[in-house]
Amino acid sequence: MQAIEYFEVECTEKLGGEYYKQITNDVLLDHNLLRVIHKMHVYIDPKVPIFVVVGVLKKVTTLVKVGDIANVNPQEGKLTLSISNETWLAPMLKIFWDRFGKDHVDQPDRFTVILYGVTAGAQEVEEIVIADPSKALYKDLVYALRCICPEGFRVRSENYGAEKFSFVASENTLTDAGMALVREKFALMGMTP
Amino acid sequence: MILVPITYRGGIYRHNEIIDLIEDLGGYIIQKHMIAQEVVIQCFVPKDDVELIRAIGKPIAGEVTDSPLVGTEIAIVSMSLEIHHLPHPSCDIAEYVRRLGAKSNMVGMARGVGKRIAGLNDEERDVINEHDIAVYLLGNFETCIEYKMPVLLRGIDVPVVLCGGPDKDVLERIVEPKVDGYVGNVGRFMHRTKESEELTKLDEIIAEITRVLSKRREELAKDPLSVSPARLMDVIREQVPAILDVTSPTPLTVQMSGLRVKLPYDTYADVLRKTEIEDGIKIGDIADIEPSRMRDYILVRVRPFSETNMVI
Repeated sequence: MQAIEYFEVECTEKLGGEYYKQITNDVLLDHNLLRVIHKMHVYIDPKVPIFVVVGVLKKVTTLVKVGDIANVNPQEGKLTLSISNETWLAPMLKIFWDRFGKDHVDQPDRFTVILYGVTAGAQEVEEIVIADPSKALYKDLVYALRCICPEGFRVRSENYGAEKFSFVASENTLTDAGMALVREKFALMGMTP
Repeated sequence: MILVPITYRGGIYRHNEIIDLIEDLGGYIIQKHMIAQEVVIQCFVPKDDVELIRAIGKPIAGEVTDSPLVGTEIAIVSMSLEIHHLPHPSCDIAEYVRRLGAKSNMVGMARGVGKRIAGLNDEERDVINEHDIAVYLLGNFETCIEYKMPVLLRGIDVPVVLCGGPDKDVLERIVEPKVDGYVGNVGRFMHRTKESEELTKLDEIIAEITRVLSKRREELAKDPLSVSPARLMDVIREQVPAILDVTSPTPLTVQMSGLRVKLPYDTYADVLRKTEIEDGIKIGDIADIEPSRMRDYILVRVRPFSETNMVI
């Protein structure tokens, strides 16, 4: 876990804690979340039972623009876009349809989009924002934490702010003790919730 | 005649000769897979003739291996069918036992997860009891395993092999009531088993399953079955043509002391009961035909010699 500055899994059972460290690592890696997490502390006590995750996120400010995923080539009466990354193709087309109208947007094959008779220049098209990855981050993070969490712990409290997040789960009703644990674990990382 | 389970693996070319040979020797073919240019035959053959099959198969690049799990139906009991438990480790283990010839079914519990909230309902209990052996795949915490095992084992009367995160000796100590086999250090994990260490663990599970099944076979040998389930399979295949129209991969699933017939119970139970095996002896005389809890299948449980006084 090179990308995370602080990563600890604390568990009342030593072997169980080691397994959960591996699980956490695998899940974050699978969901490509290592690059956005700065610090993370996991606490599990199966005797209570309770599962707590607190963490700090890195700032994700990069917006995805048309220029990031396509080369825009101006030609006479049209702009030809060669797509290099398909990930954001669908939202890009939707934005084009809304902005220029379906009649002006054509996709002759998988990696080519042609804009006919649009007033915008190549530079302007390249600057169109098509996605904000940080918006999906919350969903991804919560999903990943649910995967890491022992499955029976279905009573959950999920908090997500601009930088910090906390996740508390148990199979019993959550009490103030859970919130106290969140504060305590944040303090271990030198932070306040 | 002692029948032993083996797997024959070879090319399609002249494989019919091997099938004829197995049948001529008095063996039974449990399953035949054709995969591209390869054929895999799982069968029971007389113990003394294994070398003969190996010798005849050699010129046509056939390979014979012992498959102790052929002719068994194993329940892989997963605590749920959620992403937490699937596809790793449940599918990895289910697939591994399948490779060694067993028919494995995955039983995903509705409420097997958690500690206090874990439970087993009557349908799950009955489905597990229809198998030869159940492999329980549990989590990583000994506290949870200790707490919930009495509930999850309630009413289970087939042998159980338990896999869990804690060490084997810890599992042996904490699990009540005691089960037949334990494999430690195989709890919940979220990656594919491909490292050699993990594959060794899978082998350990197979070894434990084989050990428990051998013990069960020894028990069965003390009071032998009235008819071999493999033979019963052949009889049904010949005399109940409807089974040939079933599209399931194993329309007749052989178990250690019975058979699962994948035909509707209401329509075919009586047909099976009246099917003659030999000399006027019908299946109904030596086996119990029961409805299965799995879909509307039929479960044939062969009665032992002590109950019927005959062995065919």
